[in-house]
Amino acid sequence: MGNFGFDFPCIGQLDLDYLQTYMTLKNKFSYEPGEHEAEKASNSYLMSLIAIIAGLPLPIVNLLATLIFYLSNRKATYFVRWHCTQALVSQFPLLIMNSFGFWWTISILFGDDKISSNYIAYIFTIILVNVFEFVATIYTAVKTRNGHHVQWWFYGPLTNLICKP
Amino acid sequence: MKRLLIQFALLATVFFGTLFLLRQVNWLSVLKIEKATKSLDENLGKTFWKLYSETEQEIKDHSITAAIDSLVETLCDDNAIDKTNIKIHILNKDEVNAFTLPNNYLVIYTGLIKACDNEAELLGVLGHEIAHMEKNHVMKKLVKEIGLSVLISMSSGGSGEAIKEAAKVLSSTAYDRDLEREADLASVEYLLKSNIDPEPFANFLFKLSENEDDLPEQAFWISTHPESRERAENIIAYIKGKTIKKNKILTPKQWVELKKEIVD
Repeated sequence: MGNFGFDFPCIGQLDLDYLQTYMTLKNKFSYEPGEHEAEKASNSYLMSLIAIIAGLPLPIVNLLATLIFYLSNRKATYFVRWHCTQALVSQFPLLIMNSFGFWWTISILFGDDKISSNYIAYIFTIILVNVFEFVATIYTAVKTRNGHHVQWWFYGPLTNLICKP
Repeated sequence: MKRLLIQFALLATVFFGTLFLLRQVNWLSVLKIEKATKSLDENLGKTFWKLYSETEQEIKDHSITAAIDSLVETLCDDNAIDKTNIKIHILNKDEVNAFTLPNNYLVIYTGLIKACDNEAELLGVLGHEIAHMEKNHVMKKLVKEIGLSVLISMSSGGSGEAIKEAAKVLSSTAYDRDLEREADLASVEYLLKSNIDPEPFANFLFKLSENEDDLPEQAFWISTHPESRERAENIIAYIKGKTIKKNKILTPKQWVELKKEIVD
């Protein structure tokens, strides 16, 4: 089982070079994935990107897109399933964070809440997290497309627990 | 598993640490949001009031404005509301109506004063409108009905038709049921703090709801504030068991004179 370290850099300093440094390939997957597998695995990340663009500002859309992709690939090869699972689990914390921001915004627009510095700080924080994840997803999609196995911080070990050969 | 938990803890620390650091900044001031909101309120208030002042006749008779001023001032003083922010305008129109515009414009039609049998009824309606101001219901209603982008374009001299439509929304449609209830109960609280009996306010709603079928078309305040019977019952239930004083702000003579001036 391959294991690729992905240390989260300071969010403000995020760029692709930094990601490349930190998402370094350490080991290979337990087998060499074929061309078709690499394409499918890469698509699991692309699904969440397309859904983010199409589904904004509704936070549930990208989770649903990766969930549908995950379900349709349940019987695929291990490499594909592994990356579909990582793409899916990485969406859950985003869903929680974005949903909280979404309903906070709704309550400001239509409810009794007033816009505050706390609200703006929260929105900036989740924007940073979303941008970080967006860039990391593009990087991972590209790497996976080339047959590399990229294991994210926290989500990688979590996927190892969930997804078995 | 241990590695997983450590990584989760570190990620959570990065997230909450970023949030904590960003919370140290006064974003409202940095992004000039307070100033922009105030300026949007001011511009919209001026724009709407200009529309009404050009099409309706404003009452400037001192005896009328002074009496209404003293009613509003008492409610404000007793409830720690800054009266100097409230711009009261009385328009000569038979509609039984009063409404608020952005930037604390309180518009009262003479028809409403005529329809009130005593000052407590009028104070209840005035308190209700002041509550809409204090709780920022006006902008919420506008954003919901019209949209923020249209409001911003109006505040910088947008199309005349859109401004007319927005003004109509404010003067002739009700707020959400929850906001109406909130304003009713806030008005009752204002009245209680001013030692005014809120029951006549409930009676005013009852009185108009009983005649709902043959309401004159001018009875806008009640026809645009539906479920008036239920609202009256809510008020009665709310004040049940409370100690109520029945003070008056105007003397009986001043009230009679106000009504007489309005009729004339």
